[in-house]
Amino acid sequence: MFEVLMYDGGVYRSEELFELVEDMGGTIIQKTRSSQILTVTMSIPEEDKTAIIDFCKEIGGEVKSVPLAGTEIAVVGPTLGRHHMPHPICDIAEHLRRQGAITVVMGLARGRGKLTSQISLEEKMIIDEYDAAIFSLGNFKPCVEAKADLFSDIKVPVVLVSGPMPEGAEDKCEAIVAGVGRKASRMRTPPEREKLDEMVDKVGKVLNDKKALLEEDPLFVHPAEIKQLLEEYEPVNMCLRPAPVVLHLDGLRVKVGYQEHHEAIENMEIYGRKIGEICRLSPSKINDSSIIVRIKTRSEVLQEVPGREGADDT
Amino acid sequence: MDIEVITEDGFGEESYRNLFVEIMSDVGKAFQIDKALLVLKPEVPLFIFSVRLRAEPSNKTIAGVASVRKEGDALYITITDERYAPDILRELWARYGKGSVEQQTRFDIIVKGDVSETDMESVIIASGEEYLKEIIGAVWRSMPEGIKNRHAFIEGQVITVVATEERFERHMLDEGEGYHKKMMEAVKDV
Repeated sequence: MFEVLMYDGGVYRSEELFELVEDMGGTIIQKTRSSQILTVTMSIPEEDKTAIIDFCKEIGGEVKSVPLAGTEIAVVGPTLGRHHMPHPICDIAEHLRRQGAITVVMGLARGRGKLTSQISLEEKMIIDEYDAAIFSLGNFKPCVEAKADLFSDIKVPVVLVSGPMPEGAEDKCEAIVAGVGRKASRMRTPPEREKLDEMVDKVGKVLNDKKALLEEDPLFVHPAEIKQLLEEYEPVNMCLRPAPVVLHLDGLRVKVGYQEHHEAIENMEIYGRKIGEICRLSPSKINDSSIIVRIKTRSEVLQEVPGREGADDT
Repeated sequence: MDIEVITEDGFGEESYRNLFVEIMSDVGKAFQIDKALLVLKPEVPLFIFSVRLRAEPSNKTIAGVASVRKEGDALYITITDERYAPDILRELWARYGKGSVEQQTRFDIIVKGDVSETDMESVIIASGEEYLKEIIGAVWRSMPEGIKNRHAFIEGQVITVVATEERFERHMLDEGEGYHKKMMEAVKDV
């Protein structure tokens, strides 16, 4: 069994840490460097956990378990106006980040108001690129209930965060966290921190359900294996954007242009097959500067390739 | 600041009481508000925020916040209300130039040149209109974001903002005016 850990510390002797993880047969899921501060999310064999923790302590860093590692989550607010930002949306995003998730904060173009709030098809398609979405709504029950339609068509799991507990929204989302409405200050009191932890628990549960669903017909390869391959591709390796490859539960986001690079990526080989055969590549709906890679399931791959075991020859 | 919240929404009552205090403190207006009345009807939606200020908004002159005396070729200003120190300096720099204005301590400013005491005392450093705009801006900020259709009643120390999402109906403005009058009567009682 593999366990996901997060190292939080300095860059001092970090190369040795990467080598140690590699020697143990683990992988680096995410590496974020800001000046001399380094955050590394890594997947390592459970039996080697103690050795990693001891080494991290030796080089002056901290290690903790991160239940949301390897996921990308969108935190969505009605708008990006000062009524909703930075609290509580950024507080939620930051707390999820500390649990290992890559988070993105989004505001809808016309999400404000009880009678006039809307979501466009483009916004829905952007949100569907992520593993899960958290919708943060306000303080009034009738407004939250009216706005539940905003996420009723979203395909990825949605967790609703609102002040009061709405009625009739249970069928439109996977989980509801009540008690966090519009705020003008940071969520730092103990009850507020508990609410953030409750949110992480619910998001974790929702993602575990999604993982269980994926395991029924497993992916042809694990996203981390494609990540390792992509990291050897020079444009990705040289990419200066933070986290150039982001893991999803069923694929990856690669932060290089689709038009320029999709053919080269599709022609890369893994386990004797081209990535184009075992994955679906599409440009991100945000803009052309990222590629969304969705890995096909084993049954899909076997069915699509003629002459292979289990292929449909009819 | 005394806050009264009228609503049937349990969660909204407590959270908007806190939001109003936090936002007014953030924008530095909390100490200028004597009483606030918040009427929250999200089901309509209709929001009426009425605030009674400690003092009626009016133009602030240097005479109101500092004492001025002429000695020889220079004019000596001693600031009595430090909140207005940046406004005084900004106005003096604009009028007489930085070379003629010397700030000796936090409270003492010397203006060199031929300036009369009376002229200096009548210099407006903060306009009442600007102050009013800031208060109304702070009230708008504390209202929900989608409530864009707003009307303000302003009379003496009382400012009442009535807001809804789409069209105003007569009864909404009447209700707002009713609360405005109620707050005005409270001023007279004081």
